[in-house]
Amino acid sequence: MMRDFAIVWGERSLLLSGLANTTVLSVLSATCALLLGVMLTPALMSRWRAIALPARVFVDGMRCVPFLLFAYIVYYGLPSLGLRLDNWSSGLAALIIYNTAYMAEILRGAWQAQPREPIEAGIAFGFPEAKLFRRIILPPLLLTAGPVLGNQMIQIIKDSAFLTIIALPELTHAASSIQSRHYVPFAAFITAVLLYWGLCLIVEAGVSAVGRLAEARR
Amino acid sequence: MTSVPKVLDVACGTKRFGAAEVLSDVSFQVDKGETVCVLGPSGSGKSTLLRCINWLERPDAGQIYLNGKPVGAMASGAVMHDRELSKLRTHIGMVFQHFALWPHLTVLQNITEAPIQVQKRPKAEAVEEALALLAKVGLADKRDAFPARLSGGQKQRVGIARALAVRPDVLLFDEPTSALDPELVGEVLVVMRELAREGMTMVVVPHEMGFARDAATRVIFLDRGRVVETAPPDRFFAQPQTERSRQFLQRYAGSLNGANGRSTRE
Amino acid sequence: MSRGDIVAMLQGAVVTVTLSFIGILIGLPLGLGLAILRWANTPLLARVVAVYVSMLRATPLVTLLLLLFFALPNVGVPIGPISAAVLALVMNTSAFNCEVWRASLDAFPKDQYEAAQAVGMRAGQRFRRIVLPQIAHASLPGLVNEMSLLIKVTPVLAVVGVVDITRAAVRIGAETFEPLPPFLLAVALYVPIVFALVSLQRFIERRQAEAAA
Repeated sequence: MMRDFAIVWGERSLLLSGLANTTVLSVLSATCALLLGVMLTPALMSRWRAIALPARVFVDGMRCVPFLLFAYIVYYGLPSLGLRLDNWSSGLAALIIYNTAYMAEILRGAWQAQPREPIEAGIAFGFPEAKLFRRIILPPLLLTAGPVLGNQMIQIIKDSAFLTIIALPELTHAASSIQSRHYVPFAAFITAVLLYWGLCLIVEAGVSAVGRLAEARR
Repeated sequence: MTSVPKVLDVACGTKRFGAAEVLSDVSFQVDKGETVCVLGPSGSGKSTLLRCINWLERPDAGQIYLNGKPVGAMASGAVMHDRELSKLRTHIGMVFQHFALWPHLTVLQNITEAPIQVQKRPKAEAVEEALALLAKVGLADKRDAFPARLSGGQKQRVGIARALAVRPDVLLFDEPTSALDPELVGEVLVVMRELAREGMTMVVVPHEMGFARDAATRVIFLDRGRVVETAPPDRFFAQPQTERSRQFLQRYAGSLNGANGRSTRE
Repeated sequence: MSRGDIVAMLQGAVVTVTLSFIGILIGLPLGLGLAILRWANTPLLARVVAVYVSMLRATPLVTLLLLLFFALPNVGVPIGPISAAVLALVMNTSAFNCEVWRASLDAFPKDQYEAAQAVGMRAGQRFRRIVLPQIAHASLPGLVNEMSLLIKVTPVLAVVGVVDITRAAVRIGAETFEPLPPFLLAVALYVPIVFALVSLQRFIERRQAEAAA
């Protein structure tokens, strides 16, 4: 058993590059999804059906589609739309599109839980719209949504593992490769599991920090 | 001296929460038919004392005896099994400050739950007795209602009926009216007075001093976890023997003239 | 896609639904058991459960599946694709269910439990008649949510050779050189099932919110 772990240690550069890919993919897609989600949320809550309905269909649709199948469809489907993307880009695209829907829904929930008065005060004090959004609306919104966004981040990290199916060299793919070449399945995959766990603990620590920030301002 | 064991015998009860000693060497006995009221400033340990009697809190030292039988722990120090303790608890009824009714059961089911499930009495008998108790507390028409639909005073009366349904040897009341709106307090105190009058053995931590003055057979004054004074109510309220008791009565004199159980059904 | 292909996909769908069902059926009570172990706070066991649940919730299903499928035979436990799939699903969903149950247990009003103690109920009775009915009610939305999440991760079972929808779709795509249609069909089969569960969850939440008002 110790010998197996030694072998895995020997392959640590592959493992670390897989971890790096997982981390970069997750952080990048989470950030883009959040930004796009912020733009989608107002559409979701719009009073005009022509805007709200497609947004709602998109969000509910992504909620009901398994990510793995969606990744496959993006990977195989985009070429027929004329877009030739490598597996990294299509994996990233799939993660971003999929999670934009989730982010929009999370922000919508957090928005509806916000008290109206502080915002009305901002308007009364003459804050122009963009400034109002950036300095009055967004900060408490993100603080409230902190834990749920954190959970979604963890979900993204786990979903990225599905991309091993399209041969994207992320963490699970690296572990799989080490396993198949050296026949050390337990050591390889347990190491991967521990690394995923580590990533999640970091995210949860971040969420706690945000939570403390939020508490101080409650 | 009678050789019949007391209904309740608390000997040197001591309880610590962390570094603080909440109860120190508390001893008293309760005879059958007595209504003992435990008074004291907040933080004096009254609720803790009550909860030690049926071992909802574990005393750190001392013995509790119910009709001569040890509760919770033997004199040797051996702690009772949940099974044994549960059997004993059916002889001690408790009425809670926040009613503690089970929300997924109807009023009638709340009352019959313990007689049927714990005491294994036949359902028909339990239901009959439950209906009689409901009538006694004035809520016969609420038998099939769920607790969420009741007012605070109604919930507490159901709580009393539920405690009575197991036919306990002694009834414990933990500030039964403190969570009630003032106008609902009366209906509960009426029921409690009636029970006292009928000879139920009761240990009450009252929220209303008036109840202690009018319905108690004995008052125990607790201060910072120690028994400071024990006396019949007329002597305690008229001629307190210690400085602490005097200070306490001065501060709470107002509530003696407040809600003291006049019936709302007039 | 030919008719035979569609039939193959439907057969795959049956496999998917069956495995999901088994996973849910075992995972629900197992999750409750784990939550109770933490709630009862037995010193060592509660800690172990906490770590186990934390790790399982952080592990992608595909990684767990590969771990079980390849590592268990290596340590002398022979395991086939279906067993590995069920085991992975059960381990995964029980960890998430545990957290749902635990949230309800933590929120359970203490004085109702004490009332049950005070009236002489034994531990088993207290749990069965007072605690369980209420936490089952409170946990329902979270548990249904977890069911929909479980179904959404089942496509990954194809990775170890379980002939479910995904594997059928991959095979057909490889044979016909048209990968898109079978995957779109797979999505068309999945979406109604997940949507039904999501709708059920929303319905339950609405009903409970109305009852509480």
